[in-house]
Amino acid sequence: MESKWGKIWGLIGLLLLNFVNNVSSLSLTITKVECVYEIVRSEGDIVSGNFVVVDHHIFWSSDHPGLDFSITSPGGDILHNLKGTSGDKFSFKAPRSGLYQFCFHNPLSTPETIAFYIHIGHIPNEHNLAKNEHLDPINVKIAELREALEAVTTEQKYLKSRDAVHRSTNESTKTRVIGYTVGEYMLLTIASVLQVIYIRRLFSKSVGYNRI
Amino acid sequence: MRLGGGTHEWRVRVWRASLGEGLGITMFDFNVIYLGLALLWVTSPFGNNLHHNENATHGQFAFTTSESGNYLACFWKDGSHQKDSELTLGVDWKTGIAAKDWESVAKKEKIEGVELVLRRLKGIVETIRGNLIYLRDREADMREVSEATNARVAWFSIMSLGVCIVVSVLQIWYLKRYFVKKKLI
Repeated sequence: MESKWGKIWGLIGLLLLNFVNNVSSLSLTITKVECVYEIVRSEGDIVSGNFVVVDHHIFWSSDHPGLDFSITSPGGDILHNLKGTSGDKFSFKAPRSGLYQFCFHNPLSTPETIAFYIHIGHIPNEHNLAKNEHLDPINVKIAELREALEAVTTEQKYLKSRDAVHRSTNESTKTRVIGYTVGEYMLLTIASVLQVIYIRRLFSKSVGYNRI
Repeated sequence: MRLGGGTHEWRVRVWRASLGEGLGITMFDFNVIYLGLALLWVTSPFGNNLHHNENATHGQFAFTTSESGNYLACFWKDGSHQKDSELTLGVDWKTGIAAKDWESVAKKEKIEGVELVLRRLKGIVETIRGNLIYLRDREADMREVSEATNARVAWFSIMSLGVCIVVSVLQIWYLKRYFVKKKLI
């Protein structure tokens, strides 16, 4: 009886550890350099995440080349390096535990806003079963199931951010179509009225007969 | 998750997350490492101040979102520090299903172990389904806007040609009438 309770609490304790790393999408405004740090508790954990640049505030798409993104491991090696991106997914297996650094660098002076999400997944593998008698093989399967669901959630956060960007592009296109077309019609009308007025003046009496 | 001080001086660090409405409890657990004095504000999208904490080294705060939008948690470095002192913030921020108090659910319904874990997984699956429905509805909205814009582009371009022709015809007609009146033609 005692060992069963101990087993159950051990199970709950171990699984609760997995849940600590669940965070929602974070909004960062990057003026020059911004870094986010995350602790990876054990080697072999799978770190997956994504980021999308929202609210571009640019007129033409060639205005802003995008952000630079890099992931640095606790040992100082750069695991991942992207230049000029407007959003990407990443996923890697942590080679060691420790503090990982996710840095964004903005090459231009206009601040950019990004939506950022990381998930660190830990699956207690079969190796630990021999060491820890409180670990039931079902835990491994449940952890795998949970990691699969978290992968879906991570993907959904990415899709939501991209959807927000797409929507703002759509709205901007709609506004531009209407605004620029109405402006074009008005400009056309004004230009032709000015033409008529000018021609009238050319033929007016004060200029003199038969001058033209 | 931690937002670091960086190599440049900083006065305020803002943690901003876009949260939907009625998200249940959003739990917010922070601790400040190193010289530990910070001022914390949490504000809702409409500017209501949800939480205020001065000279805090650590704390925990939970709230239910009533509006959807950007929620800001701002940390200020206290004025008594030197300008370049580095202050590291560790923030643990959970929303929605992850913030639910599972211990009290376990006690209340007297479930434990695998059943409790499977309940949590069920919660995650329901969140996933909610997200899918949201994305599908948004896609439907955007498709409508796109199709309307598509129709408008075609229609407005043809109309601009029409406007051009009408305006030039009017010009010629007016000028002819003017010259006839002035007896130049």
